[in-house]
Amino acid sequence: MTSCPRPEDLYLYVEGELGPYDARKLEEHVECCPACRDALAERRVLHEAFTSLPPFDVPKDFARSVMDRLPEPEVRKARWLAPLVAAVSALAVGLAGFHFFTGLSIFEVLVSVNRFFGSVIAQAAPLAAKAFKIGRVLLEVAGGLMNTGLAGLATFSRVLGPQGITLLIGLGALLSVLAFFGARRFLRQGE
Amino acid sequence: MTEDRQLVSRALGGDRKAFEMIVRKYEQPLTSYLGRMTGEREAALDFAQEVFLKAYCSLASYRPAFKFSTWLFKIASNHLIDHWRKKKLPTVSIDQTVDDGEGPLSPQVPDPGPSVARKFELAEIREKIERALETVPEALRELFVLRHVSEFSYEEIADIKSLPVGTVKNRVFQAKELLRKRMEAS
Repeated sequence: MTSCPRPEDLYLYVEGELGPYDARKLEEHVECCPACRDALAERRVLHEAFTSLPPFDVPKDFARSVMDRLPEPEVRKARWLAPLVAAVSALAVGLAGFHFFTGLSIFEVLVSVNRFFGSVIAQAAPLAAKAFKIGRVLLEVAGGLMNTGLAGLATFSRVLGPQGITLLIGLGALLSVLAFFGARRFLRQGE
Repeated sequence: MTEDRQLVSRALGGDRKAFEMIVRKYEQPLTSYLGRMTGEREAALDFAQEVFLKAYCSLASYRPAFKFSTWLFKIASNHLIDHWRKKKLPTVSIDQTVDDGEGPLSPQVPDPGPSVARKFELAEIREKIERALETVPEALRELFVLRHVSEFSYEEIADIKSLPVGTVKNRVFQAKELLRKRMEAS
């Protein structure tokens, strides 16, 4: 006869949590050990009692009272609405102010504003043309630098050979994977 | 499980009815768990309200890869720990071996003492369990309640409590043997 099972295993057997091999061994043992048979019968009754403890009563209005305590959800406002309203208000106030100080009618104010913006554009146009030229020169310089970089890369790859390039790509991929999982872990810890 | 995820997703979209359905689904299991841990029905209801409130406020941090019920009970368990810390109640370390004064709780052979099953009827045993449960250290009681009242698997309890499965099994066993011995003694 095998040795008596641990009381822990009796509970696990009753719960169906014991592996098939250990469960068979326990069943064989219980067949010829009256003490363990009694112990198993007792654990069965206890298990039945443990798993049938009555639930706590909850008042019918419990869910309602929880819902009443919840904060109101934030109403999502359109992000572009506030700046648009502010701009239109500022324009209206500006026009009204101009009208009161100068005594000009709204139509004349609009014509003056139009002239003002026209003169601003006329002054800004040469500046914009200069900025465009500078931008073009910067692009040419960047293009030259890129060509030099690509030529350097081509020389470097020739020196490394196909095996070196494969090794480099592999290392790059490994570092990317490590950085990805590291960042994910870091973000999870911050939750 | 999928239903829970859908309800959470709807609740996150501002559907309060969806969150109310979650509350209705879990109000009784959660209160039963908290009730066994606090020993008072009114306190359990207050705690359950606070847990649902916390869950609602941190719903965006719920990851659908996990079961919603284990996430909710994890919040409840942490809430209890905070409560005990604030009240500075004596707690038993989860790693400490519990001794009921009648020797260690891990005998290698079944105890041949008088059988609880033979002495009492099932209903009587349940009543005795309820009474004895209040005297079990909360670290063991909680795992017992999660397993047999809330009906979580050992793996789910391990997730909720961030403990190894083996430790959970051992502690639930300790709680059961402690209950059995206290019932025998009564």
